[in-house]
Amino acid sequence: MSAWWTVMRKELLDAFRDRRMVMLAFVLMPVAVPLLIAGLGSIGAKRQAEKLEKTLELPVIGVEHAPNLVAWLGTNDVRVLPPPADPDAAVRAQEHAVVLRIDAGYAEDWRAGRPASVELIYDSSRPMQSGATISRVRALLGGYDRQVGTLRLIARGIHPSVMQPLRVGDRDVATPDSRFDFAQQMLPYLLLLLAFIGGMQLAIDATAGERERQSLEPLLATPASREAIISGKILATAAFTLLSVAITLVMFRVVFAFVPTEHADMSVDLPWPALARLLVVVLPVVLLGATVLTALAAFARSHREAQGYLPLLMFLPMLPTLYLMVSPVKTQPWMLAVPFLGQNQMILRILRGEPVTANDWAVSLGAGLVLVLAVWWIAARLYHREQLAASS
Amino acid sequence: MIQIQGLRKSFQTRGGEIRAVDGVSFEARDGEITGLLGPNGAGKTTTLRMLYTLMVPDEGRVLVDGLDPVVQPGEVRRRLGVLPDARGVYKRLTARENIAYFGRLHGLAEGSIRERTDRLSRRLGMQDCIDRRTEGFSQGQRTKTAIARALVHDPRNVLLDEPTNGLDVMTTRSLRRFLAELKAEGRCVLFSSHIMQEVAALCDRIVVIAHGRVVAQGTADQLRAQTGCANLEDAFVQVIGSEEGLFA
Repeated sequence: MSAWWTVMRKELLDAFRDRRMVMLAFVLMPVAVPLLIAGLGSIGAKRQAEKLEKTLELPVIGVEHAPNLVAWLGTNDVRVLPPPADPDAAVRAQEHAVVLRIDAGYAEDWRAGRPASVELIYDSSRPMQSGATISRVRALLGGYDRQVGTLRLIARGIHPSVMQPLRVGDRDVATPDSRFDFAQQMLPYLLLLLAFIGGMQLAIDATAGERERQSLEPLLATPASREAIISGKILATAAFTLLSVAITLVMFRVVFAFVPTEHADMSVDLPWPALARLLVVVLPVVLLGATVLTALAAFARSHREAQGYLPLLMFLPMLPTLYLMVSPVKTQPWMLAVPFLGQNQMILRILRGEPVTANDWAVSLGAGLVLVLAVWWIAARLYHREQLAASS
Repeated sequence: MIQIQGLRKSFQTRGGEIRAVDGVSFEARDGEITGLLGPNGAGKTTTLRMLYTLMVPDEGRVLVDGLDPVVQPGEVRRRLGVLPDARGVYKRLTARENIAYFGRLHGLAEGSIRERTDRLSRRLGMQDCIDRRTEGFSQGQRTKTAIARALVHDPRNVLLDEPTNGLDVMTTRSLRRFLAELKAEGRCVLFSSHIMQEVAALCDRIVVIAHGRVVAQGTADQLRAQTGCANLEDAFVQVIGSEEGLFA
């Protein structure tokens, strides 16, 4: 029996007896992550839908200047409110998403056939909260504008299409699976984060923890080579993390089966083959995380020091998402070879039901595994330092 | 059989270079107990660490049964049973699992691990705790587990770094008896201590180390004769040149 296998089995046995670690990795995280995505996603979608469907409450300044417009708004599911004393302040304080001001000269302009002025008061720095309401009011005013304009043209004997040299039609080629919704934005990041640092506790416990508890020196006095010892610890961390990610993916399926989807674009439909493919995609990240964590923890003097690197590590899986935010470019083949970025792309393709070629798989997995080997080599070198065990 | 010739080792620290071991030579023979006696910080642990391949000597040579740990670390580790200064056990594993883990790392078959574990457990008197998880073990139970784990592969040479540290009187006595048994089996037993009485009572040969150097060696009688002191403690104080570190 090889030494790495012995070490791996022992570390896993040790970890599975740590009730806190098991709860966190196999129950808490797998339930929390899908619930977080499903919960936030469905709340967001519901609120958006409510905003569009429920009666719009619109404070209007100068109701008396345009009774027809106000009456028309009323027939379009708008409840007109008396205006606040200071409309600008009220909008800024988010008491109202938008306030409509009808100009004092409205009636006069209207009768003269000149464009009559109305004004929307809103705060554009809050698109999430008020964006939908603003565009709804804009659309209503546009509709009134076109309706009256058409009537005026007809009254003058001109065909309304004169004012319409261009007709723009929409054809959205997105398949239902490729709609880019909240769940799809969050899922790759959370999945990669979990794959990368999900084994943190085990890795730290098996290296920095082993040293702190003074069991490393006797271990190094056995004939097992240091490469075998560190490989066993890395593989134990990776196996533990992979199981945690697998349970999380299954929980995604379970949770999304219960989320009401009538409001939402929550099209996270995860058939079993897709789950299996996602697991293969994150495999290099799992191994990379296990190796990096083990190397760091071997380098750190204590539990506490090892945990200090955590914020930095959490940032790494975020980088590709940030990069794509500032520079939303078309997917290039080389991206698949970049750790995290490549996995991010692969996960998105699988979620969207897009094809992944054998070549894509080879590039993504191959590049990931090469990096793992490089970090493994560094970790093994670190484990050969004399100070490793003797710094007590 | 352990031979050490002209061993040197220094460490770089912020305060400059520290010569932990500065020319140590001695021999520990089979069928004898050799005591490494010296005040705290004399270089005992560093010497032992070079013996069990954790550190590489700057100068000098170690031979374990004629093998050099720098050249054949794996083979040397197989011939050594080591109880280091650091003797942590895995608290979520039972004592038996702790011992079996090391047996497997030594490449032993499951059958012989079981057999050896039972034998060691009987000899060390740990039948009552062998199948309990080591969390909550007393210091004595932990040390016994660590000793059993160090000896599971039946090594010819046994190294123990301050084995009786922190043990109560009863456990210390049974441990001394156990060391005498190892000697009777023809093994080479080398242990370090800073406790005079222990070394005097157990050892066939004593190597006194101070400031990284061997300042005297021989049997207890030879040491007394060398210094002209009737009392071994006085002899010890005289060879190391001060009482510093003796009362830890």
